[in-house]
Amino acid sequence: MSKEEVVAALIAVIREKFLDGDRSGELTDESPLLEWGVLDSLNTAVLLKVIREDFGVEISPADVDAVHFRDVRSIADLICRTAPSTASIGDVTR
Amino acid sequence: MNLHELVIDSAGRHPDRPAVTSPAGYLTYRELDALADALAHRLRRLGVRRGDRVLIWADKSAAAVAAMQAVLRLGAAYVPQPAGTPLDRVSVVARDCSACAVFTTTDRLGLLADVPSLDLADEPAPARAAPVNEPVDPDDLAYILYTSGSTGAPKGVCISHRNARAFVDWAVGMLGAGPDDRFSNHAPFTFDLSVLDLYAAFAAGASVHLIAAELSYAPVQLVDLLHRERITVWYSVPSVLVLMMRDGGLLERPAPERLRAVLFAGEPFPISGVRRLADWTGARLMNLYGPTETNVCTAHTVGPADLGRDRPVPIGAAVCGNKVWAVTDTGEVAGPGGEGELVVDGPTVMLGYFGHPAQSGPYGTGDIVRVLPDGAFDYVGRRDHMVKVRGHRVELGDVEAALNTHPEVEDCAVVVIGDGIEARLTAFIVPKPGFAPGVLGLKRHSAQRLPRYLVADDMRLVHELPRTSNGKVDRRALAARRTSS
Repeated sequence: MSKEEVVAALIAVIREKFLDGDRSGELTDESPLLEWGVLDSLNTAVLLKVIREDFGVEISPADVDAVHFRDVRSIADLICRTAPSTASIGDVTR
Repeated sequence: MNLHELVIDSAGRHPDRPAVTSPAGYLTYRELDALADALAHRLRRLGVRRGDRVLIWADKSAAAVAAMQAVLRLGAAYVPQPAGTPLDRVSVVARDCSACAVFTTTDRLGLLADVPSLDLADEPAPARAAPVNEPVDPDDLAYILYTSGSTGAPKGVCISHRNARAFVDWAVGMLGAGPDDRFSNHAPFTFDLSVLDLYAAFAAGASVHLIAAELSYAPVQLVDLLHRERITVWYSVPSVLVLMMRDGGLLERPAPERLRAVLFAGEPFPISGVRRLADWTGARLMNLYGPTETNVCTAHTVGPADLGRDRPVPIGAAVCGNKVWAVTDTGEVAGPGGEGELVVDGPTVMLGYFGHPAQSGPYGTGDIVRVLPDGAFDYVGRRDHMVKVRGHRVELGDVEAALNTHPEVEDCAVVVIGDGIEARLTAFIVPKPGFAPGVLGLKRHSAQRLPRYLVADDMRLVHELPRTSNGKVDRRALAARRTSS
C-alpha cells in the first residue's frame, strides 16, 4: 500500500465514521482534524483501533499527539513510518 | 498548610522520589519543586502578584503541573484550559477572570490579546531559584475550573485552598495513601477528578501518572498503562472502565496485585460493570459524587450487598466534613424513601462563580436523589437540561448557542443519544432556506468556539424541530431518533 493509498483509506474511514459520510466532500488530507473537532479523544481511540486492526500497524502511545494526528497526511506519514514494511499493510487490508 | 505546600513538604521529605510522570519523562519532587520556583520567578517578573489569575493553556505535562505550583506559590490562582480549547473560548475565559498571564506552548505564544504569555517549553534558569512561598489565607482562591454554562457563557467555579484541602485530606485519609502509592491521572486538569490524582499524590509523597488526552479513550493503551505504571489508585469516569473491560482486555489479565483502589465518579456506573470489576480485583471500589461546585461531597464503598442490586451503587453519605441532605418540592427535608434535590453545606462548597456574588450557605446541586434507609443517597436524575457525556457536564444551550452563530443555521437543538460510553452529543440542525451546511464545516465552526468535549459528535440536518404542545422543542422526541433523518 503506497502512502497515497493510506491517505485515501484514512479519508474513507474518517468520512464514514466521524462525518456522517461527508456528503459535501469537505474533508481533505490537510483538514486540521483536532482543531476542527473531528478527532476528539474518543474518535482518536476509534481511529487507533482501525489503524491496528485494519492496517495492521501498532502506533506507540508516545506518538499519539497533536503533531502526528494533525491531519490525514500526518497520520499517513506516521503509519508508513511505523509499519515494518508497506507490504504488510497491504496484506492485512486485503 | 495550603495547597502548594503539599509539594514543598514532600520535596523536603522525599526529594528523589518521582512526583509526576508522563510519556515524555518524569520529575522527582526535588525537580518539580525547583521547576515550580523557577517558573514562579518568571511569573513574578511579569508582575504576577497574590490574588491574580494565570491561565495554563496546554496539554497535560509535568511542566504544566509545575506551572500550576508556580502560580500557587505566588498566592495567585491558576485557570487550566486544555490545549485543544480554541482561542475564542480561551479569550472569553481570560476576559471573564481578568487573567494577567498565560502559560502555554510555543505555537500559542502571543495569541491572546492583552495577556502576556510564557512558554512552558523554556528551560528554567540552571541555577537553583530561591524558594517562593507567598503567604496565603485558607480562603484565598487557588484555582478556577470553567464549566459549560446554559446560555453559552462558561462559568468559573472558584475553589479555595480550604475547599481543596478538605477534599484532599479526606481522600488521603480514606485511602491511607503513602509514598509508595502511584495515582493514575485520567481526567483533564479542567475536570475536578484530577484534583484527587494530583494533590492526594502530593500530600502523600506519592507519584501521579499523567494520561494524555489523545489516549484517554484508547482501551488497549489504558490497560497497558495500568500494568506498566504499576498504578495503585485508579480514578476515572465509569465509561472509561467499561471501555477498558469491553475493548481493552482489562479482565483477561489478572488484576495487578498493587492495585488497591478503583475510584469512579461523574456518572452512574451500570451495576453489571461493577460486578465484573469486583470479581476481577480485591481492590476497594468506590463511587465518589459531587458537582464541580462542591468537589466530592458524598462517597460510597462498594460492598457485597450492592452487587445484588439492580441499579447503580449509591452515591453514599456525606464526606469531607460536609452536611448533605435532600429537599423536596415543597421545601422539606426528605426522609428515608423520599426524593429531593441534594443540598450541600460545608468546607468543600466553592467560593462562588468568578465575577458573581459569593456562594453563601448551602449549595443546591440540581441533582435529584432518593434517601436510603441508612440515610445515604441514590442518584435519580437532573432537574434541568444539564446532561453528562462520559462524566463531562454539558449545558445543551452552550452547544446550541455556538451552532446558532453559523451563517447557514436557522435553528438547532442538541440532545444526548445513548448512554455511558455510547453517549453521543447529537445536534439537529435546521438550515436557512437554500443552504445545506456540511458536517465538517459545522464541526469546525463549533470547534472554533467551544472546548472539544462540547463539539457535537453527530450533526443532522432536519427540515424542522419537533415541538411539544406548548411550542418548546421536544427533546424527548429528538433523543428517541437513533437513525439519520
